[in-house]
Amino acid sequence: MKTDIMNHESEMLYAGHNACPGCGAALAVRYLTRALGPDLALVLTASCWSIITGMPPLTALKCPILHCPFPSAGSVGSGVRRGLNAKGQYDTTVVVLAGDGGTFDIGLQALSGAAQRNEDYMFVCYDNEAYMNTGMQTSSATPFGARTATAPYPLFKEGQKKDIMQIMAAHSIPYAATATVAFPEDMERKLKKAREIRGFRFIHILSPCPPGWGTESSDTIHLSRQAVATGFFPLYEIINGVSWKMTCQPEGKRLPLKEYLSGQRRFKQMEDVRIEALQEEVDHDWEVLLKRIEASK
Amino acid sequence: MAFELISGSQAAAIAVQRVGVDLVSAYPITPQTAIVETLANFDARGELGGDFVSVESEYAALACAYGAAAAGARAFTATASHGLAYMHEMIHWCSGARVPIVMVNVNRTIGAPWCLDPDQGDSLSQRDTGWMQIYCSGAQEVLDTVMQAFLLSEELLLPCMVVFDGFYISHTYEAVDVPDQKTVRDFIGPPPFEAQVKPGAPANLHGLTTGDNQIELIRGRHEAMKLAPQSFKAINSRFQETFGRSYGAIDPVIPDGAKTVILAAGATAETVRWALPKMQDTGLLQLRMFRPFPREELCSALEEHGVEKVIVIDRNCSTGMGGIFAQELRSALYGMDNQPDVQDIILAGGIDLTIEMLERIVREEKAEGHVEQKWGVDLR
Amino acid sequence: MLPEIVKEQVSYACGTEPCTVNKTGEWRFLTPGKAERPSPCNQGCLLDGEIPAWLEAVKLERWEEAWQIMSRRNPFPALTGYVCFHPCTENCNRGQLDRDIEIPAVEKAIGQWRLDHYKPKVKALTAKGRVAIVGSGPAGMSCAYYLNEAGYEVTVFEREKVIGGMFTLGIPEYRLPRRVLKKELDLLESEGIKFRTGCNIGSDIRLSELYAEFDEVFLASGAWKPRRAGISGEDSSGAWNALDFLKAVNSSSSPAIADPVVVIGGGNAAVDSARSALRLNGVNHVTLIYRRSRAEMPAGQVEVEAAEHEGVELICNALPREIEEDGQAVKSILLDHCKTSLEGLAIDRSRAFSKTCGTVIMALGQERDYTLFDTLEKSSVLFAGGDLISGPATVPEAINAGRNAAMAIMAKIEGLPGPGLPAAEQSPVKFEELNLGAKMNLQLQDVQADPSAEASRCLGCGTCNTCGICYLFCPDMAVDVVDGRYEFNLDYCKGCGICFKECPSRALAMEGGR
Repeated sequence: MKTDIMNHESEMLYAGHNACPGCGAALAVRYLTRALGPDLALVLTASCWSIITGMPPLTALKCPILHCPFPSAGSVGSGVRRGLNAKGQYDTTVVVLAGDGGTFDIGLQALSGAAQRNEDYMFVCYDNEAYMNTGMQTSSATPFGARTATAPYPLFKEGQKKDIMQIMAAHSIPYAATATVAFPEDMERKLKKAREIRGFRFIHILSPCPPGWGTESSDTIHLSRQAVATGFFPLYEIINGVSWKMTCQPEGKRLPLKEYLSGQRRFKQMEDVRIEALQEEVDHDWEVLLKRIEASK
Repeated sequence: MAFELISGSQAAAIAVQRVGVDLVSAYPITPQTAIVETLANFDARGELGGDFVSVESEYAALACAYGAAAAGARAFTATASHGLAYMHEMIHWCSGARVPIVMVNVNRTIGAPWCLDPDQGDSLSQRDTGWMQIYCSGAQEVLDTVMQAFLLSEELLLPCMVVFDGFYISHTYEAVDVPDQKTVRDFIGPPPFEAQVKPGAPANLHGLTTGDNQIELIRGRHEAMKLAPQSFKAINSRFQETFGRSYGAIDPVIPDGAKTVILAAGATAETVRWALPKMQDTGLLQLRMFRPFPREELCSALEEHGVEKVIVIDRNCSTGMGGIFAQELRSALYGMDNQPDVQDIILAGGIDLTIEMLERIVREEKAEGHVEQKWGVDLR
Repeated sequence: MLPEIVKEQVSYACGTEPCTVNKTGEWRFLTPGKAERPSPCNQGCLLDGEIPAWLEAVKLERWEEAWQIMSRRNPFPALTGYVCFHPCTENCNRGQLDRDIEIPAVEKAIGQWRLDHYKPKVKALTAKGRVAIVGSGPAGMSCAYYLNEAGYEVTVFEREKVIGGMFTLGIPEYRLPRRVLKKELDLLESEGIKFRTGCNIGSDIRLSELYAEFDEVFLASGAWKPRRAGISGEDSSGAWNALDFLKAVNSSSSPAIADPVVVIGGGNAAVDSARSALRLNGVNHVTLIYRRSRAEMPAGQVEVEAAEHEGVELICNALPREIEEDGQAVKSILLDHCKTSLEGLAIDRSRAFSKTCGTVIMALGQERDYTLFDTLEKSSVLFAGGDLISGPATVPEAINAGRNAAMAIMAKIEGLPGPGLPAAEQSPVKFEELNLGAKMNLQLQDVQADPSAEASRCLGCGTCNTCGICYLFCPDMAVDVVDGRYEFNLDYCKGCGICFKECPSRALAMEGGR
């Protein structure tokens, strides 16, 4: 294929990093850095990627990675952007990389602050739907019905996954988009579009986690694709918090959610009634999304 | 000489403006607000010369400063009390990352219950975070020390906290010699340190490491901080040449024959200075630098004057042990020949120290001999 | 200025060395590798032509490489691109997505590249052996090509005045442009193959003489003996057999024939004759008459459709009973209705009808002519192939026979093991097996501006077609790009299996262990 995405000379990720086999987050960051590099500065908060980067004196990416404490990512990003500006390095793309914990939970305040100030950088959340780095504990990004280390059987995650995209839309930031690893072209297009926009940009990437989700390591792409095909994780973008647009819609009817859930051990003992409840939620969200898209035409 | 009548807060803000920083990130908290507001006013007039950002929390303020300093920028923030406590994680992180940042902390009691009085417990509870701490006793000292802190911090690649008492210093006005910007900038110069985040240069900065590595890094910070008194001395001798003033890690005022000295840090030192003429055979040992702890300077000053008694004014209390300056002093004096006796006067909660109280403290000490600890409220 | 001692002491946890020193391949307990399976196109190919492999090379615009792959099985893509009926395209999986791959177009392009880029090689001083080939048609040419390539001295004996056999005399110009054919034949001659035309083995030279003179002999004289209908009027003037007719048409001298023309038969020779006749001056109407139903016609459907499109009238279920003459010339042909039944052909004489015509061309098939063998001594080991052995068949089958003969001859002369039995057949990769989940990641646009774009539409079907999905989806940077293709780097492959699972072509397998 002669597409940009196959250009190996733009790769920023080194082989030999510490991600688990089949890691969606490794792929997400590979696509991310390749699309935005080489003039890129990464701020990285506590997450799986703190491990994946490897231990100094080693590094896993061909760009600076500034580690920072868990809740601080959004603010450190502001500082790096402003610091680089002070040094005249306006062209360097600053990206804050956080997991779902560092975005939805402990990092939300800093994220919200930076978004509200319309800080000129890109906040990228790779969402593997729990605290995977520490052993699969529930986060507010964990979907309803999933079992985690802090919600073991017969417990389950109660309450819906936090709708981070609506939260970000409510900040009226210039650009927000969802992406996932099965659709690297879609992701790359969004990242490159976001790079050209000034102000705060937010990218939410669904990153399957084989050990955390209880799936075969080979299923990462398949699941990512199914998440889109079922409408569980639609691919869309939001301009200025008001203009919503679907970017990569599954052909034909959405697959039943059960097909996505059934391949994952975290949903293995999920009762039918809960699956139905989650299906209804997904259907509802889907309708709301379509209405928003329709309304912004 | 251009004297202006300004508050300690304004002095801090003016120093920042004169030095010229790339970034001020701050969040308001009583009694620090006047610093932020003064800087915002500079910004409004286009005189700040750097970026001013009002963030959503103190934690964010320091996190933002960390990011900027890592990118090679000169960054400043200011806070107090709960704000400082809220920053705690970032305070550790900044020193571990060896970024030079200057932060002003205006002492205020930490709740509960809510209290605005200037207990030093906020800054002292950050003792072990790897930051240098310098306590100031007046507005001129604040202005001068904030300027010097940038040099010290950028020289040693350790963050530096400049501390002074809320209200007594932050909100009272003094005649201060305010230098012009050019003189200050010529004296300070541009930031000499290298950026950690260098676009195009792959670097895994402050990523996960082992204990074996960490101990070396901690030793490195420790060794660097130990250089601070010597560095501070050099900075002050240059400062003297330009501005006609200078400060030490400790500033002793010990009359000949005085066998008792009062050790104080912050505004209380100024009170003692004023009381000295009324107290015979008593000297002042103003502790300015608390981290690193100027042990050698202290011991030699005491030895030199054959001091037998040190009365420590502690506007703080480490519950279950007592005043923190006293603890530190006792620990520093341990093993010294003719080790002086140490008495601890606890003004926790930030209560006022009057000259009458000081006279009583000295009088009672002479009469009673060794008493380890006294509470300020009992001395009124 | 930083004090020297601080400069020395300032160290923070900072990594600048690539983590590639971590050989994460050690984590692996499953290992990916290529495991190719047949494609439906190859399954259909009469040459077993490694179609996905050369499509891939063309996609990468590696023409030299495409030619190398192609010529392992087919040295004449410039010709087969035109004349082969391309059963390969019949089951192309891509067709289920949008439309079949235009395999002939790519094949022609490789052939054209070869013709345009041919450079004569320096030949070895001493030949490995001397071989005589009887017949310069597709089988003979193929055998000659491979032997000559391998360093043999080859002499081809051709009874006609021109070389090329069926290519030259049987296939009409409109199906195979003569400029292409000429270039291909010229190339064979310039490669050093000797041709002796107008030399009839059996009458001009005895076969045993060939055996005496040459190390080996390959017989590929074809099946040029026309089958006769055995009806009256078959020998009258104005009645032709198809091969003679095509030969006449194809040897520059256009035969004068009377309009209207009737062609009897349903095979390729019949359709070729009908279409060729329609192209002659003075011919306005051509009727093709076949005894069975249209669906049963052995000719390529594309050819039949093309004939109809050009205006050839098609009459099915009619069997000639008699060619009626008017003095010396053909006047009409009498036909009976007939159809296929369980017992064979059911003829209904009650529904006879007559068709007026000036010319009748009988294309009832050809037979093998064994007269050549009469002169053979039984003890001689004989290599023979093409239509002479198989009976009338297709060009690719003849090319295959010529190649097999060349391999067998070389094996015999050089004392090597001969070509083994074909490997046990694996089932071809079905459309449903392909991982078209990844299709959104493939370049699926319908571009055919150039052969390379067309080739890039190939889904691979059991063969790596360098789509790059394994590379694209590898989280571990364990797929290297080596010379434009993808290779597993087992130093870093953690064995996650994403490549295997996502390979759209199903050309990979995971094996246990490192």
